[in-house]
Amino acid sequence: MNNPSDSAAARATNVSKIYGHDDSEVRALDNVSVEFEKGKFTAIMGPSGSGKSTLMHCMAGLDEMTFGSVTIDGIDVASLKDKDLTKLRRDKIGFVFQAFNLVPTLTADENIRLPLLLGNNKGNEEWIQKVINTVHLQDRLSHRPSELSGGQQQRVAVARALASEPAIIFADEPTGNLDSTTGNEILTFMRKAVDELEQTIVMVTHDPVSASYADRIVFLKDGKIAGELLEPTPELVLDYMKQLGH
Amino acid sequence: MWRIALKGILGRKARLVLTSLAVILGTAFLSGTAVFSATLNQTFDNLFSDVFRNVDSYVRSTQVIEADFGQQERQRIPVELVDTVKQVSGVADVQADIQAFARIIGKDGKPLGTEGNGPPTFGSVGQEFKGALWSISQGRFAAGPTEVVLDEASAKAGKFVLNDTVKVVAQSGSREFTLVGIASYGDVRSPGGATFALFDLATAQEFLAKPGFIDDILVSGDGSLSDTELAMAINQAIPGTYKTETLTGAQITKETQDEIGTALSFFGILLSVFSYIALGVGSFVIYNVFSISAAQRQRENALLRAIGASKKQVTRAMLIESVVVGLFGSTVGLIAGIGLSKALSALLKAASIDLPSGGLVVPRSAIINTIVIGLIVTVASAWLPARRAGKVPPLAAMRETAIEYVALSRRRTIFGLVLIALGVVSIVSVTNGASKTLLGFGILFFFSGTITLGPVIARPVALLLGKPAEKFRGVTGTMARQNSARNPKRTSRTAAPVLIGVALVTAVAALAASISSQIDGVFTQQFKGDYAINTTARGFGGLSPSLADDINVMPQVQRATGIGRLTVKIDDKGQFLTTINPATVEGVFDIGLISGSYADLTTETIFVSEKYANNHDTKLGDIIQVTFADAQVKTLKIAGIYTYDEIAGKYTVSRDLIKDSSVISFDLGVFIKLKPGVSNESARSELQAAVDKYGQGTLLSKREYIDSQSGSINQLLGLIYGLLFLSVIIAVVGIIITLLLSVFERQREIGLLRAVGMTKSQVRTTVRWESVITSLIGAVVGIVLGVGLGWVIVYALRDQGLSSFSVPIGSTVSILMMSFIIGVLAAVYPAWRATRVNLLAAITTA
Repeated sequence: MNNPSDSAAARATNVSKIYGHDDSEVRALDNVSVEFEKGKFTAIMGPSGSGKSTLMHCMAGLDEMTFGSVTIDGIDVASLKDKDLTKLRRDKIGFVFQAFNLVPTLTADENIRLPLLLGNNKGNEEWIQKVINTVHLQDRLSHRPSELSGGQQQRVAVARALASEPAIIFADEPTGNLDSTTGNEILTFMRKAVDELEQTIVMVTHDPVSASYADRIVFLKDGKIAGELLEPTPELVLDYMKQLGH
Repeated sequence: MWRIALKGILGRKARLVLTSLAVILGTAFLSGTAVFSATLNQTFDNLFSDVFRNVDSYVRSTQVIEADFGQQERQRIPVELVDTVKQVSGVADVQADIQAFARIIGKDGKPLGTEGNGPPTFGSVGQEFKGALWSISQGRFAAGPTEVVLDEASAKAGKFVLNDTVKVVAQSGSREFTLVGIASYGDVRSPGGATFALFDLATAQEFLAKPGFIDDILVSGDGSLSDTELAMAINQAIPGTYKTETLTGAQITKETQDEIGTALSFFGILLSVFSYIALGVGSFVIYNVFSISAAQRQRENALLRAIGASKKQVTRAMLIESVVVGLFGSTVGLIAGIGLSKALSALLKAASIDLPSGGLVVPRSAIINTIVIGLIVTVASAWLPARRAGKVPPLAAMRETAIEYVALSRRRTIFGLVLIALGVVSIVSVTNGASKTLLGFGILFFFSGTITLGPVIARPVALLLGKPAEKFRGVTGTMARQNSARNPKRTSRTAAPVLIGVALVTAVAALAASISSQIDGVFTQQFKGDYAINTTARGFGGLSPSLADDINVMPQVQRATGIGRLTVKIDDKGQFLTTINPATVEGVFDIGLISGSYADLTTETIFVSEKYANNHDTKLGDIIQVTFADAQVKTLKIAGIYTYDEIAGKYTVSRDLIKDSSVISFDLGVFIKLKPGVSNESARSELQAAVDKYGQGTLLSKREYIDSQSGSINQLLGLIYGLLFLSVIIAVVGIIITLLLSVFERQREIGLLRAVGMTKSQVRTTVRWESVITSLIGAVVGIVLGVGLGWVIVYALRDQGLSSFSVPIGSTVSILMMSFIIGVLAAVYPAWRATRVNLLAAITTA
């Protein structure tokens, strides 16, 4: 299953997600096929209701798809039982959510190492230190989330996502709750993670500026892939969105 | 506001059920015990009105000795009075009645019924009589010295059929009879689980009592006189020198019912005390649930305030909710309680106590009590949370929900410390001679202080107790530890019911351990023999005095002596005398004689304890006047003084003193010393054979005997533990409810953890350890308080002869283990719920 020569960290093939039956049927995802290349930063964009979050949830094993298949690092997600799916999320996937990313009772350091701790895994200490340095959290490690600013909290979340050297990181509107300066800081860290630490990141966003940090943008509309843009700038993104009738 | 409150309640049925659960349990115990007591009372009332239904008059002696513990001994009357009564005009039929100790020995050689604490075992007279208590259901009444009739339940239990040989043990020894009939008592097979062996009058007198004496006379009138006139006529016919009285049937029925009622009311009070303790524990749970629910609804309440509801209205809405919960909970509790009392009756039936089918009695007072008390407790417990809900600022509606205000006020710390200090001062002042009533206040202050300080100490204690969880369970343990410490108010409110239950159990265990070790010490000091024959029968029946004599002459035995007890009157007060056999007691049972010798103890003399001698300023040669149960008065000279009064009490006499009177006398223990060189093994089987011949008592080695004496306290302990179990159940439910609400509140956190890779079993582990830590907080603090409470109680009982305090190590360890298990069990459902958290909903809801 695990195919190291595969250039895709994650791949969705003919994925559909259907809510309801017959007349009241809603297709949140309609036969979507997409690949996310290793070592690249990809953004998924689309208006609300376009299915971008649903796609991410299905690919990350957080939600079940109705049809189709998803592989993460060559592993077929649909075939996994809850326990193995949990392990997959723990060992192969990193997550950054929009809000409520951290466990309030744990320190920043414990939060960063959480996936490793849950797996009884010491992890690669050199790597972890490198990650911590990259997001500039050295002085904040013993603090609890309530003692950190919103930006610092998201940096901890990014560090956590990186800590276990996952095959892929999914970020769901990671800057949605932050002011633009702090948001850009987070995006810069994510960019650095891809460029310097050779990580793979998939980010869901509706903000053209955020999306422009990515190497590639996948547009979704009405549950279908509506187009792609490589090497984006904010202006290019806005133009493209206008073309899509947005 | 009514409408908002009611809509709020109906909108969250699950929470209504959770909140009501504590109310339901608390009130169910309240109504269950009330209904059970009332039913039991009614049952016995019916039974005794049945018993004397056809008895018009009842003749008995007026001479009664009442001793401690409400024990009564009524003098017997001469049998010749039966003829006197029979000749009174208006009398149709009479029956001489005897109610004495007799045990039926089963075919396996074991006595029927439980010795000691079970229902009594009677020997009585059974004959044809118009007002008969007994009616024959098989065969006929006994006639002659070799025949017996058994009650139906005993015959069934012992698998006896007509013409079987039945061995019966009574005061005068054991004897074999032929079963000629089986009788029933009114509507029941046997009254209240008691066993009955019925004889003809002559046999009953000679075998059960003393020849020539009976207990009472039952009279049936011919209808020409009213009951009152008949009683008066009989009274006039009996010469005053006999010292008798004649009661009407209604009077004796009433008197018996009242006696039973008093005994049962003690039982009822005991039950209700513990059900109130349970309800008190429940009020903590109710308070906790309302607090959590108010905190979780903070935004909603703030919104109400923002759109114009006054503080009062918000508070009132919560109080209305508490009224609904109180009414709902106590109504369900009332019904559940009725079911509970049925279960208790079924339990008694399973323990072969056959109660007449009286039907359930649900007194109106129990209904009103349950509902009113349930309502008051609920609303009172909701009062503070409701007021706090009203104080929420409207702005809170706009904020992210800050779950419960956790800052701890300095006022609380100071108030708690002041309470504890007051408690310590009260207790210390008692040890310095202040009135003992202060002890009660001291305990109350100390407990309230600890509960007040609860939130302050909960965090450090939780973190301390959680250390091992963190060490052994890694990050899940860390989270459990932090979760139990993150809201100290909630944790301490959840642990408080456990604390109270554990403190009470520990105190009782400490008291029991102290009593046990003291008894152990006393018997080790005074019992010098190798074997003992023990009976658990106290006050009614015991070992036949001839048992000790028979064993004394056995070849292996150097000496065997019996110790018994007599109830007499001294200075017009009921007192116990210890009876010994001065010829055999020396070297087997030591009473610590410091002046006089055993040879001085004759039918003219008495020994007194050193303490008595000092208190009454008496010396050897002084005179004590004793009135026996048969009204005989004897003047005894003090011939000896002894120091060991723990068993012997104030007075000790020779058993020969009552040899020729109608006074009943049993030995309560026979103590045996073997000849030197006799092997214990061979002697034991011979001794056992001798004991078996009598069918009374249990043969025990010295160690076994001492253990059984010091262990006798354990039966009482069992009962109290059983009753405290009610509180423990409520405490467990409290933990379950709190955990469920906490899990509900932490849905997002759990969802996040699941998303980043926490397995379901890790989720369960986290909840489980949080539960265990909470439960252990209650247990550890409870044990500390309980040991202190136990010490205070033992101290208070110092004057009653309790001199040493022991910490119940074994019980403490098992309590800790129990609370660990309780923590694990309480977490089962909440932990399962936690794994059911909808992952997506938890991480996507903004």
